[in-house]
Amino acid sequence: MKTNPVVITFLFTLGLFVALLTPAQVRAQETDTMDKDTAAKLFPKQAYSPAAGHDYPTHVYWGDTHVHTSYSMDAGAFGARLGPKDAYIFAKGNEITTSTGQRAKLSRPLDFIVVTDHSDGFGFFPKLFGGDSKMLAYPQGRRWYDLMHSGQGATAAIEIITSFSQGKMAEGLLPLPGSSEYRAAWDETIKAAEEANEPGRFTAFIGFEWTSNTGGNNLHRNILFRDNGDKASMVEPYTTQKPLGSDNPRDLWKWMADYEQKSGGQVLAIAHNGNLSNGRMFPLIESFTGKPIDREYAQTRAFRERIYEVTQIKGDGETHPFLSPNDEFAGYERWDKGNLDLSVLKTNDMLEFEYARSALRNGLKIEKELGVNPYKFGMVGSTDSHTGLATADEDNFWGKTSSSEPSPDRATHPFVKTDKAVIMGWEQAASGYAGVWATDNTREALFDAMQRKEVYATTGPRMIVRFFGGWDFDPKDAQSRNPANPGYTKGVPMGGDLSNAPSGKAPSFLVAAMKDPMGANLDRVQVIKGWLDASGQTHEKIYDVAVSDNRKIAADGRCKTPVGDTVDVPNATYTNTIGASELITVWKDPEFGAAQPSFYYVRVLEIPTPRWTAYDAKYFGVTMPAEVPMKGQERAYTSPIWYTPAK
Amino acid sequence: MIKKLLREPLVHFLILGALLLFASNLVNNRTSGDTKKIVITAGQIEHLEYGFARVHQRPPDPDELKGLIRDYLREEVYYREALALGLDRDDVPIRQRLRQKMEFISEDVAAQAEPTETQLRSYLNDHPDKFRVERHFTFSQIYLNPARHGQRLNADAQKMLAQLNKPDTEANVSTMGDPFLLEPRSQDVSASDVARDFGDKFAAALGELPVGKWQGPVESGLGTHLVYVSTRTDGRLPQLDEVHNAVRREWANDYRLEANEKFYEGLLKRYIVTVELPQPAAGEKAQAGVKRP
Repeated sequence: MKTNPVVITFLFTLGLFVALLTPAQVRAQETDTMDKDTAAKLFPKQAYSPAAGHDYPTHVYWGDTHVHTSYSMDAGAFGARLGPKDAYIFAKGNEITTSTGQRAKLSRPLDFIVVTDHSDGFGFFPKLFGGDSKMLAYPQGRRWYDLMHSGQGATAAIEIITSFSQGKMAEGLLPLPGSSEYRAAWDETIKAAEEANEPGRFTAFIGFEWTSNTGGNNLHRNILFRDNGDKASMVEPYTTQKPLGSDNPRDLWKWMADYEQKSGGQVLAIAHNGNLSNGRMFPLIESFTGKPIDREYAQTRAFRERIYEVTQIKGDGETHPFLSPNDEFAGYERWDKGNLDLSVLKTNDMLEFEYARSALRNGLKIEKELGVNPYKFGMVGSTDSHTGLATADEDNFWGKTSSSEPSPDRATHPFVKTDKAVIMGWEQAASGYAGVWATDNTREALFDAMQRKEVYATTGPRMIVRFFGGWDFDPKDAQSRNPANPGYTKGVPMGGDLSNAPSGKAPSFLVAAMKDPMGANLDRVQVIKGWLDASGQTHEKIYDVAVSDNRKIAADGRCKTPVGDTVDVPNATYTNTIGASELITVWKDPEFGAAQPSFYYVRVLEIPTPRWTAYDAKYFGVTMPAEVPMKGQERAYTSPIWYTPAK
Repeated sequence: MIKKLLREPLVHFLILGALLLFASNLVNNRTSGDTKKIVITAGQIEHLEYGFARVHQRPPDPDELKGLIRDYLREEVYYREALALGLDRDDVPIRQRLRQKMEFISEDVAAQAEPTETQLRSYLNDHPDKFRVERHFTFSQIYLNPARHGQRLNADAQKMLAQLNKPDTEANVSTMGDPFLLEPRSQDVSASDVARDFGDKFAAALGELPVGKWQGPVESGLGTHLVYVSTRTDGRLPQLDEVHNAVRREWANDYRLEANEKFYEGLLKRYIVTVELPQPAAGEKAQAGVKRP
């Protein structure tokens, strides 16, 4: 019998693996030794403490709201043996040994992560792998056990995911809330978060993923707790399997409300991968009832789901070339072949209800009808990594699953394959992260920033983006030493609302972006506007508002000159000889209609850089097939600012 | 006293050894004795009932229970006979599973260990590099965007520096320089935080600059800066109470690894191990031997 060394060590999953990790670098409190006289001399007109005088967020915190570990049944079957503890150790910037025995380390630590293991099947994998007799009593359990123990973990994983999403998993095979193994897995998850959480330094959120996947259509949501373990442990994660759980988001929202009532705490939900929902993520017609969404749906969704995960490894969800034919930057890292398990192929009519930009547009339309906009969401990026490793850097990408950790052939291996279609390994996107403008690095402060949508998404680079909207921004504000000062004084930040347009005035926006200090220069900053006209039709338009290298922006608001390209694919390098390190401007909407509900968000584009496939080709000395993209323009998407005409 | 005893790896080893010896005698008695008895206890039956109820959400009826017991008996008979025939020996999953069970026993015992303060203190002293506090800085910087200054960048920087370093300057630091999205002042930040916001090169440069004077220009991943380092706290070894949790975590980790290793070493001592490496000349034969259907 052939054995796979990865499989042998599966059981170390249970957090035991921590033993082999490089110990955390520990930072202790230090006393400040600055002498008051020096300070007074240095800053005669400024308070001693830099935070004094303004209470707005001065720091963007970087994190990943979506990390799976071996506690997720599919991740475990794919070969992940790193548990929540390991995920935190890695996110804090420590070197770690991955599930495939390689050494991995982030270029810089993250400020927070959320371990979001699937609530369905919580505790399933360790039990199954350990050969739990009750599980082996099921033919399916027996089969997966045998597969995993004969080196075919990936086959088992695919079968587990497929049978789960097609509702073909034997009843009783999954540990259910209320069972001791379920409780144990949840307790472990909470404990790992509590231990890793260092307020002010690193935030470990308690969370889980509610994986509604009926028919293979992705309606997944991540649930984040604002609270500590004392409250979170009053419940067990909500599942999708009946009768204890439900695959309908309305039931999830009820569960959230129940939790809050019971505990006095707070939770939020972040949906992701509309691109794999086959037209169900942002519905006008609810797939569960076949009826148009009603006011209650709109209200509850707007309240419960205030941010959306717009970019991740399984594709970018900002927009699609079919929906935005005039957007030459649409179609970045597209996954549009079908639903999550490729059981049903994609058709164009589904796209409108899958992508963020079209959802923001439809939200305006629904608000007109129902009085509430259900799709008034901010945007974050995250990885959805199933390896315990929150990586989104092109030159340090550890894949979606442990079976797609770096190897010479990971790009050319099929990632999902059915008789209908195939998604290849190279189609995985090294994306993304969440940037959060919070006043402190704590569960509470970060959570509150997410709730007010003062967040943005990037596909991996940590560029700093500020976006303020108001009625009185002046070009001089873009020359301010600290643009946040006029930004917060005269306007609202990303995620905010404008209304009551002063007569004859159009909204103006202070937009600023600064490159990742360890990354590529910037190509351009764009404002993307969507609006509803008097006849009830929605529209979108892209404005280039600041571009690098003294290029011209034409009267139609677009810069037609590409920034150029310094990528050397064979060597997987680029140079910052083109592009700008910082782009700041004040932009006024030249086509404002005071009666038109509108939204505005910012998209920042980097200059072209090598894609992870180029780094792989160089490192492993392999040749990629011609169809594999080897470079791309990474980007950031901010939460929108909405304009609503006065009633 | 008992508590302390329980902390000793040697005691763990002895207890486990005794358990194992007992277990192996049990197995030997079961399989090699003349009289082979199987007793199915009330406790085992309860466990069967419980297992059934967990799956079916109801207790078994009398017939089902009989079936469960019959099946358990069959399993027990086959299990014993299979062991007697040594069928477990060449079965890779079974071997792995048993190895895991042993490792779990070893892990569980190690996890009970509680360090004393003295142990933690000496652990901290023995591993200073694991806990060293990073170098910290408090500094101000003024940003000069290279794109805005072009050829004049250096001259502009020098001019600004001269103004800043004039005695009794009234220059308002917070309004000088170009727009910049990071705060003008960073207070008590670690070298790695500086690197994260400004890039490695800038963090390294900060370590070299004299304290208490405007310096520059200093390059970062974002452009050019003039920098005033007001304090620089060198890295140091912290007191135990500053890093108590971390030391405890690392101590427990090391202890666990060590205890596991001792446990294995102890077991290994029971064997005389001979490794017969394949002879170079018989290389072909040895390779053929490795291949299995």
